Amino acid sequence: MPPFQRLHQKHVLQTVCALEAVILRTFGPEGGQVLFIRDNGHSMLIRSGTRILTALRLDHPLARMMVECVWKHSGKTGDGSKSFILLVASLLRTIYTAASKDPNGSHVYNSRAAAESAAARRLADQMLAFALEKLDDLIALSVTSYGLNLSAEVLTASAQSSSNSDGAQVETLLASFFRTRLGCAHCDFMGELVCKMLRHWSRKNDECSPSDKMGSFQRSSVVNSNGSKSNTSSSSLQFLNDNFHALHTPLSGFPVTCSRLIEGQIIHRDFATHYHGNHQHPVKAVVFTMSLQPKWLNAGDMLEIGRGPYGKSIMHFSAWAESSLEHIFATLKTLGVSLLLSAVKQSEAVLTLATQAEICVVECVNEDELALFLHLSGVTAISDYRGIRSGHIASLTFCRPMLLGAHRYVHVGFPDSIGTQPCSVIICGLGEGQTDQYAGAVQDAIRMLRTTWEPLGASVKDPSSISTGCVISAGGTFELLLHHALLQHGRSQAVSKDVAVVCQLLADALLHLPRRIHSHKPRDFLQIQSRVWNICRNPFQSDGLLFEPEISQANRGEKSSQVDNKSVCQKPPSSGHCAAHPHQIAPKITKIQQFLRG
Amino acid sequence: MSRLVRKSPALCTDLPLENSDILNKLHLLGQLLRSCFGPSGRLKQIHNNIGGQVVTTSTSSVLLPAIYSSTPFLNLILASIRNHVSRLGDCGLFAAILCVTLIEKVKQSGLRQNEAIRINKHLLGLCTTYLEDKECGCKVKFDFSSSHNLIKLANNILCSKPAIMLREYETLHISKLAVEAFLLTVPSNSDGVVTLGMTVIVPIEGHPVMESKVFPGLLVDIPVGFEDLESRNHPCSPLRVVLFSTSLAGHLSEIGDGPIEVQYGTDMDSHILDQLLEIGKQVFKDNVKICVCQKVVHPVLQQYLRSHGVIVVERVGINLMQPLVQLTGAQPLATLHSTIPHKAYGQVGNVILRQFGSKSMLHLYPAEESVICTTVLCHRNETVLNELKVACQKTEHVLRLTLREPFALLGGGCTETHLAAYIRHQCDAAGSASVFGCLQTEYLLGVEAFCGSLESVAAALQHDSEDSLIDLTCAHHWTLPKDVTQEDMKSCERKCGCGLIKTSQTKKWCHLNTKYPVFLPASLSPDATVHAEVLDSFTAKLNALQVAIETVNVVLDIQYTIQDVN
Repeated sequence: MPPFQRLHQKHVLQTVCALEAVILRTFGPEGGQVLFIRDNGHSMLIRSGTRILTALRLDHPLARMMVECVWKHSGKTGDGSKSFILLVASLLRTIYTAASKDPNGSHVYNSRAAAESAAARRLADQMLAFALEKLDDLIALSVTSYGLNLSAEVLTASAQSSSNSDGAQVETLLASFFRTRLGCAHCDFMGELVCKMLRHWSRKNDECSPSDKMGSFQRSSVVNSNGSKSNTSSSSLQFLNDNFHALHTPLSGFPVTCSRLIEGQIIHRDFATHYHGNHQHPVKAVVFTMSLQPKWLNAGDMLEIGRGPYGKSIMHFSAWAESSLEHIFATLKTLGVSLLLSAVKQSEAVLTLATQAEICVVECVNEDELALFLHLSGVTAISDYRGIRSGHIASLTFCRPMLLGAHRYVHVGFPDSIGTQPCSVIICGLGEGQTDQYAGAVQDAIRMLRTTWEPLGASVKDPSSISTGCVISAGGTFELLLHHALLQHGRSQAVSKDVAVVCQLLADALLHLPRRIHSHKPRDFLQIQSRVWNICRNPFQSDGLLFEPEISQANRGEKSSQVDNKSVCQKPPSSGHCAAHPHQIAPKITKIQQFLRG
Repeated sequence: MSRLVRKSPALCTDLPLENSDILNKLHLLGQLLRSCFGPSGRLKQIHNNIGGQVVTTSTSSVLLPAIYSSTPFLNLILASIRNHVSRLGDCGLFAAILCVTLIEKVKQSGLRQNEAIRINKHLLGLCTTYLEDKECGCKVKFDFSSSHNLIKLANNILCSKPAIMLREYETLHISKLAVEAFLLTVPSNSDGVVTLGMTVIVPIEGHPVMESKVFPGLLVDIPVGFEDLESRNHPCSPLRVVLFSTSLAGHLSEIGDGPIEVQYGTDMDSHILDQLLEIGKQVFKDNVKICVCQKVVHPVLQQYLRSHGVIVVERVGINLMQPLVQLTGAQPLATLHSTIPHKAYGQVGNVILRQFGSKSMLHLYPAEESVICTTVLCHRNETVLNELKVACQKTEHVLRLTLREPFALLGGGCTETHLAAYIRHQCDAAGSASVFGCLQTEYLLGVEAFCGSLESVAAALQHDSEDSLIDLTCAHHWTLPKDVTQEDMKSCERKCGCGLIKTSQTKKWCHLNTKYPVFLPASLSPDATVHAEVLDSFTAKLNALQVAIETVNVVLDIQYTIQDVN
């Protein structure tokens, strides 16, 4: 029988608090980075909650379960893993405190500890029930109305001056997101860079999506109550998320501010043949996924070499293989092809014949990059070299070698007719650890934006009350507003006593987050709290715009408090849910282990 | 299942910058790097604990990869400086010293990390704007009309590497060679995109440095005993070359791995050899004079070609293939059956056999103007030769950077002191503390740490207990010898670190690490007669400055380290 241990609530709290202590180092505007050294000696810089928790390599089953919950949450939203842990810890503390004071039921159980854990379980169950049923509506009613709606058209139409202020707000949103992921040094710069990148891609997809055949677009075509505009935006975000690996190039040894967008696509391989540079315009390219000169003698076959007038010499076979290869290149040359991309390594003979036919060859191209290339150029890869058609031949505006750091890559550009310019991003950093961190943060930012404009699930009863794309100013405003709303809800006559208790508990637990955000400057906490109270008291005086200046202040990075942004419509409900889940499960574990013991 | 090893939990350090052990190591690292800096820097011997090769060096590109710390924190710093060096090739020690010093100074000042990061970022912005400004007082526009500036720049890089053990005239000789080689790799007909050629370095051990030389074209190894070239009288017209990238020894690698059944009496090898000789016949028929192969050539084919007056060079290796293609214009061949098209042949101007001690090499001259050249570097022993080779590669790299940004910075510590004085003046003028939401005192502490670090890099050039001075007009860096007092400075004729100013041009000096009144450093009027003697690469130094400050910011931001020890 495996060893077992009774999971006391004290242990649960201890474990969660230990996680909280680590997370707190990186939380909020005053938080820093974590340096993580992998078992192979590679160092990584991390400030994302999920990655820190993964790096810890935890032993405790409960802690591992917590980490799994965080994964699920952040995999969906791309953000909020640190708040998740803090909220769980805070909820646990409030519930246990409340349970220890709970007068009910102690006579049923024979020990005080058992009574407490039962009370805690009951409270947690009630809280979950409340969260599932009421929380979304409550948020929709009393929090989002103070937020600001960013329309998804911001990205697609940002070139026009009319939506400039909205565009600036997306930049602010991104900047404050990067603030929590990368620190204060480069958050504005990265926000701007990602915003530019999104604009490039959104415009492109607007024009080409009707004729598009790619699956990634169909997959993400979601039905949206808000109109079809955000559909393209969301699909382009989905596309960027799926192809991010092929779209970015890390470059170490340069300062972060050297990061830039670059037109076209970078294929992360060098030319296998000598680059001659005298391409015709447009450059015609083909993609092969197999070897042009396959090994013709397989392990199952037998080659017979004879003598005499009818026997074949080995050279016969070799010559035959070569002549078939010559035939392929003759075809390619008549089609005017001058660039050959291959997913696999090609033989020396292929390279020779390609050079003679003035075709540049790029071997061993990554699968993802080839898929992106095929998508952007709108052609298909050649799988059978006997049937090369015009549908296999891509037209490029240019194709040239590109030296980035220690590597030589191939840089290709796509013509305008497909849409406006697609672009890749070069992410510079001091070392591999930093470029990885920045690349990961950019991808998370894309995911976060996608979540922001994603329509809510079926749990909301009145979908018109919550529109997608709602953002609220950072620095704990969301928590304070919800805190206020919960208190109001608890005080109203309609609710039962149990619900009132749960509301009180949840409201108390929520306050923990803004307190942590402002832990270095408690005065800011009081300020923002009093402001939120004022707004709540006179709801008709203010509208969502009241928060606008604060968002732009966060941009300057000087109001250190206003950073922790929320994409209201998605995140809080799920935090609420998931946060309640461990509660429910934790007492269950207790129960099971008690059972084992008995 | 018994092989399954339980993973041990990760090793965590909270607030690594508060850890005294780590701070001590950081200080030690700073001292180590400072002692290597500059022309009079001290050498370091590197050897591992199980014997092996001993390397003597003071170059950052050799030294930094050799330092490995058990503290991941320091490795992070070293790694980012290493990345800088591998990209830009110069100013590695500058970046490393600046980085370590600034971390220590920020730590001493007691600033909170976020404030320090913001201030550093702001000051870095001031520095880069100033350096990129046209009016910048420590920048020199590069004049490509004469090779003087290029030689000065090369000379300064070589001077700052004392482990190459060169005398003054030898250093000058090597700098000239480096510039010559660089100029050979720049194509003269520039239409649109310029593609630079390459320099192949051939190190020769045991010969005096002055025998080093630059040759246009390529030098390839040729085995002893085959150098009977003199007997043949080559005409002056270009010689035809064929280039093979596949093995000519009869390997058929592309068949596959299935079994082959050979009937009794069939000689497979002779079939293959017949085919190879077919190639030989065509090569001879097409009047090819030189046959170069990346891999092995079958001895029979070799013999056949030699007997027909073709020079055979085999096993040149993959590294030489690219320059060979560029030099000859040939297309590397890998087919055995198809007839060789005429355009696949390349040509060379002439071939000469050259002797370097016991080594004989075949010199392939370019047929027309080419961007490929070979530098033969000679030095007394292997250790210094390796160091010299690295130094020459770095010099070439830096010279190439000047094509992108035709500027140089004043060397000898003058850029650092000038920049520090400028920043002090800028920050004194504008009370910008409120922008960061920090107090004025905090801001001043940050500025002091930043400028103090820059100055201490300039001071690190001194190793023989001399003093560093700064003049209060142009804010250049001066050396005060041991036996000279500050008053004597005026009387004797000396020059500042970069050699741009003489003692007569300035009146007041101040010790570098003392407080001096804030002033706007004057930039010298561009005087045609005076030229700076010591120059640093602009691109490399600017990137080094940025990398150093960003590394500091990253390091200050680290709150926690997790080390997976499995």
